[in-house]
Amino acid sequence: MDQTKQDEEYGYDLFPERNKGKFKTGSIAQSLFSFNHKCQVMLHFAMETSPYAKLLLSAMKNSGCKVFKDRHFSCEDCDGTVSGGFDATSSQIVLCQNNIHQQSHMNRVVTHELIHAFDHCRAHVDWFNNYRHLACSEIRAANLSGDCAFSNELARFNFGVKEHHQECVRGRALRSILAVRKISREEAEKIVDEVFSSCFNDHAPFGRIPHSKKDAKFAYRDYENRDRYYANL
Amino acid sequence: MAAVTRTAPWRPPRACEDYWSEFRHCKSLWNRFHHYYTYGASPSCQQWKEDYNNCRQWEKNRGPEAQEALQSSERKRVEEQRNFTPVWEMRRDPPRDWHLPLNQEKPQDT
Repeated sequence: MDQTKQDEEYGYDLFPERNKGKFKTGSIAQSLFSFNHKCQVMLHFAMETSPYAKLLLSAMKNSGCKVFKDRHFSCEDCDGTVSGGFDATSSQIVLCQNNIHQQSHMNRVVTHELIHAFDHCRAHVDWFNNYRHLACSEIRAANLSGDCAFSNELARFNFGVKEHHQECVRGRALRSILAVRKISREEAEKIVDEVFSSCFNDHAPFGRIPHSKKDAKFAYRDYENRDRYYANL
Repeated sequence: MAAVTRTAPWRPPRACEDYWSEFRHCKSLWNRFHHYYTYGASPSCQQWKEDYNNCRQWEKNRGPEAQEALQSSERKRVEEQRNFTPVWEMRRDPPRDWHLPLNQEKPQDT
């Protein structure tokens, strides 16, 4: 199978800089003609201050996958409107510097992709061949990252209240799958339906669905307290 | 020679203030809205209050009833979080290539 066909099949064509960047890393050209520096700064801030990100980073460290900013994150220009991705082949999270312009958005993308990385770290996820695995991780990421928070949905003009969160998670998981794999909508819907109930209820490492920063802070508090918690169960 | 294991004496799984803050958070308007937005129903918060009361009770007199009640409540919470069948197999060790430097990751051309 030639490389271009493989790239298209696995969604790599959305990330054209994956194997060859336009500007040399660290060059002045990169600083002047791309959003690279802004992306790096926002990433650093997200890792230091977002309770969602801090919990995931801590959980990954404890699972044997300590995250190093320079090794496991890459700020690149991407195609279209995609905000980020997780590349299992290189164990890297890609952040689309040309599509992320606000800190709150960066926080959310970092959380979303860290959930994929966390799943990769703790389970045998077959990203390329098992669509159920892919769907499951997308459901979890949409569910737990704040992607489907009420305010975000309102901003997308998706009005809905009763159980809308679940509808949103389904929809976003579906979109994520269709963006990176060439399967029909019906097939993707069927797969999402099959795994939805299991994956929607898997809240690791949060222990709850963090709807707000306060939820995430409480989840982080629980995580820091886990030794005492399990010792006294 | 047999090793002597000394386990720390039992104490509530969470600090008593944590139970109270969870109760207040559960009852808050925002949380009730988020719960309805997710599950289409109101959250039940009473258990947090009971746990808080049992926690304070245990602190006062170290009684076994309070301890048992707390343990039973928390075990139920853990069970609820595990109420699903995973779609994937868990790893025993992290992925071998997680820490490998980047230029060793280049995919082979097939």
